[in-house]
Amino acid sequence: MERAPQQSSDSILATLSVDLLIQILDRVADSRDRKSWRQVCRGFLHAEALRRRSLRVLRLEALQGLLRRYAACLERLDLSACPSLDDHALAAALAAGAGLWRLRSINLSRASGVGWRGLAALAKVCPHLEAVDLSHCVGVGDREAASLAAAAGLRDLWLDKCLGLTDVGLAKVAVGCPALEMLGIKWCLEISDIGIELLAKKCQNLRVLDISYLKITNRSLQFVSSLRKLEDLSMVGCSHINDEGLQFLNNGSNSLQSVDVSRCENVTSSGIISVIEGHKYLQDLNIGDCFPELAPLFLSKLNYLRDSLTVLKLDGFQVFAPSLKIIGLNCRNLVEIGLSKCKWVTDEGVSELVAGCVNLTTIDLTCCHLLTNKALVAIGDKCKNLTCLQLESCKLITDNGLDCIGTCCSNLEEIDLTDCTMTNAAMKYLSRCSELTVLKLGLCDKVSDEGLVHIASNCKKLRVLDLYRCFEVTDDGLAAIATGCKRIKNLNLCYCTRITDLGLKHLSCLEDLHDLELRGVHCVTSLGITAIANGCQHLTELDLKHCHLVDDAGLFALGQYTKNLRQANLSYCQVSSMGLCNLLGSLKCLQDVKLVHLTQVPVEGFESALRASGGRLKKLKLLTGLRHLLSPGLIQMLQARGCRIRWVDKPLNLVP
Amino acid sequence: MFKASAKMDFKLRRPLEASSNASSSMMSEISRNLKPGLPFIPCDSTNICYGARQEQSFSEFPPPQVTQCHGLYAREQKTETKNQLEPSSAVNDLVMDWNPRLMLSNLSFLEQKIHQVQDIVRSIISQEGRANELAAQQQLVTADLTYIIIQLISTAGTLLPNIKNALLSATPVAQTGVVANLPVNASQKHHEVLSVELAKASEYDELIKDLNSGGEGDELIKCLNNSVAEVSESIPIEDHDIKDYDDGMDGENLPPGSYEVLQLEKEEILAPHTHFCLICGKGFKRDANLRMHMRGHGDEYKTAAALAKPSKVASSEPAIIRRYSCPFVGCKRNKEHKKFQPLKTILCVKNHYKRSHCDKSYTCSRCKTKKFSVIADLKTHEKHCGRDKWICSCGTTFSRKDKLFGHVALFQGHTPAIPMDDAKVSGMSDHVQVGETTNGMVANMGYNFSGNASDDAQSLDIKDVDDGQGYFSPMNFDACNFGGLDEFPRSAYDVSESPFSFLSTGTCSFIPRNGEN
Repeated sequence: MERAPQQSSDSILATLSVDLLIQILDRVADSRDRKSWRQVCRGFLHAEALRRRSLRVLRLEALQGLLRRYAACLERLDLSACPSLDDHALAAALAAGAGLWRLRSINLSRASGVGWRGLAALAKVCPHLEAVDLSHCVGVGDREAASLAAAAGLRDLWLDKCLGLTDVGLAKVAVGCPALEMLGIKWCLEISDIGIELLAKKCQNLRVLDISYLKITNRSLQFVSSLRKLEDLSMVGCSHINDEGLQFLNNGSNSLQSVDVSRCENVTSSGIISVIEGHKYLQDLNIGDCFPELAPLFLSKLNYLRDSLTVLKLDGFQVFAPSLKIIGLNCRNLVEIGLSKCKWVTDEGVSELVAGCVNLTTIDLTCCHLLTNKALVAIGDKCKNLTCLQLESCKLITDNGLDCIGTCCSNLEEIDLTDCTMTNAAMKYLSRCSELTVLKLGLCDKVSDEGLVHIASNCKKLRVLDLYRCFEVTDDGLAAIATGCKRIKNLNLCYCTRITDLGLKHLSCLEDLHDLELRGVHCVTSLGITAIANGCQHLTELDLKHCHLVDDAGLFALGQYTKNLRQANLSYCQVSSMGLCNLLGSLKCLQDVKLVHLTQVPVEGFESALRASGGRLKKLKLLTGLRHLLSPGLIQMLQARGCRIRWVDKPLNLVP
Repeated sequence: MFKASAKMDFKLRRPLEASSNASSSMMSEISRNLKPGLPFIPCDSTNICYGARQEQSFSEFPPPQVTQCHGLYAREQKTETKNQLEPSSAVNDLVMDWNPRLMLSNLSFLEQKIHQVQDIVRSIISQEGRANELAAQQQLVTADLTYIIIQLISTAGTLLPNIKNALLSATPVAQTGVVANLPVNASQKHHEVLSVELAKASEYDELIKDLNSGGEGDELIKCLNNSVAEVSESIPIEDHDIKDYDDGMDGENLPPGSYEVLQLEKEEILAPHTHFCLICGKGFKRDANLRMHMRGHGDEYKTAAALAKPSKVASSEPAIIRRYSCPFVGCKRNKEHKKFQPLKTILCVKNHYKRSHCDKSYTCSRCKTKKFSVIADLKTHEKHCGRDKWICSCGTTFSRKDKLFGHVALFQGHTPAIPMDDAKVSGMSDHVQVGETTNGMVANMGYNFSGNASDDAQSLDIKDVDDGQGYFSPMNFDACNFGGLDEFPRSAYDVSESPFSFLSTGTCSFIPRNGEN
């Protein structure tokens, strides 16, 4: 074991060897604590580097240095936050640790600049590569797949929305990576039955397969059914698949544990029944939005899955009380049920359901308009382990209903009360749930500062707070939140028009804040924005649409401090060319900007600001009028670098 | 490059508009000159049609004793019997191509014949008014004239092979004049008769057309040919079992003798046109086209009767099952073959004969290897040629994706090749050579991972972009094949149309003038 360099006698390193440091480090779990650890001294940093197994890179410019430090031990590398990554940068980064790589997993999601050369380099220098995520790299096609296929040990591969991928590319992967266990080819619209057939023949070890939204037919399922180890099959929105195809799955293998056939329009109960009959260990069944009515036979067949079934999603069905009663009787071990948009769900039905399924932890009752407090009382009474409750648009529910939930379900982590008629009393009841992490109160316009004070008093773990159009909320409420819920990550304050700079100043102590939406908060000025930029340095998304008072000063602050900002909506702000140029020029991570109706910015301002962005932008929203005013060369350059420009034609509407 | 080839492709497939397109007719002339071996000398088809083998039989033939329109039939049957009596002369005739003495005797016989007809016509003029006799005599005249025409044509036809050999350089127009004159003169004589019998004009038209149309004309030919075929019995038959991909009548199992076997002659089979205008000599593939054409020669051809399709049912006979024999002795489709399998239609005969017994003169312009003797086959092939875009890493090509994937599924380590249509890669496809194929794609890919791989885009140096797959891409395939397409002359498949276009311009104006002289 390498000794730490000689230090003066009073140094802590004199007594602690590197292996001891590593032992200590293993007990430091939190990422912020680890960051502090790294900053102690060089010795600590070195120890951390030896111990580090995974790395998520937030800024591309740091990539090379980071890899030089961590290359030797790193097993998981996440580059999904660096969408401007290209072949050159990837190859250069990989060169830093050439010969040493023990990398097993790499996430290149949304890195649309990466092409086959980069992937070929990756496959070459990382012989132990097991997992690659290329989802949403819309440019990835057959050539890239062929490069990846050189990584013969690949087990997990995610290619969602790789629009260029065809059967040929899939065949390359199937032949090159026979050990494949997990494969996602969702939205790869070019893939057909022929490709799936070859895949099933070559990769017999597949456990997880996502073929959602493909234009495949029953023939594919015939071959998929030959995968004896298949556990998880997702085929959302495969409209060419019908019951006949699902019957192929009933082949006695009993391997499937999870099936998602939601939005498959041509699937009916008889198809689902054949799946149930063929796989008695099925745990997860999602048949949402397939066919409108639940056949009695299907309900009785659920009895087959009495012991195994834990997740059942029936979104969009006409589910009546008797059906829910049968489900309650047949699926005793149900942990999660989805009844979103099941408009005939009644209090009686929910009572029958929870009477049987006492282990339920997640209940989705979105848009079940008929539900009243009685249903919540039943849930609170039976489901003591409830962690997630979705009640969006259940307008008959009142504060009293939540009393029971707050009292009985102390493990509640997530609740969605969007568009419910809640008041501060409900917040008081909810504040009993100390585990609460997600609270959505959109359109609950009676919730005011008092309610937020209740929440802040006990819900220390809150991460997501949605106060969309809660007009009553003022700076004081935010002050309470900022002091009580330090870990807030997402905060939606859209159209909370009483909030001012002072409120934002309170919020600036939220170090974890990533996503802040201030749309239509028209009292906010650059002072507030500056405070936020100063305090919340992890900010990645910021919506300032219709913040008419925000000017260049705010943008300067953002440009200087929020180096991780990736999405910004500056539409209707009173910014000038200077501020815009500064912002686009200095933020290296910025990839998605909306710049509609910036009345103070002339065409030249747009021109120079967009040039200053240096081709990092991936998404851009501009007024249609600019299309012919901006120089064609600039537009070409942006598009060549992978930027999608959305031209909108909106009237200048100053009042939101 | 691809664009260019596609354009060319379109051009090649476009039907040739002969008369209107000067450049194309020029092209076709060039192509004709390039292919002197092909029997496409304008107008000779008329002559070929009616064979050249009848001289011996008709020289001793008595003046026709016919009473009705079907008389032609009866006479021909007699011809058959005659021939059977004198097999040796017919065989001799088969062997010998052209005999000037024979022709002279033919011509003098024709002269006699014409005199006979003149006599009959004179007698008709003298004894006016007796209707029943008139009708009989008129039919006699018609039959005789028809006979004369046929003989003229066949006599001229004997010249054909010699013309082909000797007068290759001579202008086709001159030939056209010489040969086509004969029927025109004959028809003018008819017109003399016609002037007397205006009332019967339409009936006459019918007859002329019958001569040309597939209906009775065909029968005529067949009967003539039958005689020859029967004579050739004495020739020892070789048993060539040529693999026959014709659709003749496989599967049909007619007992021998239950159908009539007809045999067309080689020249007749190969003739581009089977229907000819007796006024201007223009040839047509279909009699319907000829009827349309005839309208231009006067109002008498515009009547409903003249434009009507000549009905075969009119012959009142119960439909005789008719099958065809290939004139190639030894062929399985030849009626002398032990396991004779007849051909169903004239089209079958044509296709069979061309495919089995003719040179494959149409070469695919894409692959330049596949050759065909039937244009339709070439066109079918060209639809798929070069479309083998599904290629395996082992170099095997497939026209269908599922076939390739079936192959890949079967063999360990084989993968489908990726087409190099990638924009960044296509630029390098120029120096790709088909043939030098390497399978390992990753092995060839050299990455430059030296220390300078820092800020310079050049540092990402792909040493060898032309990996194995590049060689198999259809883009390259096309590019290689079509690189020089522009220099490639308009290929052979316009040839059959070319004499046609030539006729339409040259002969129409020329012949009538000759007739007047």
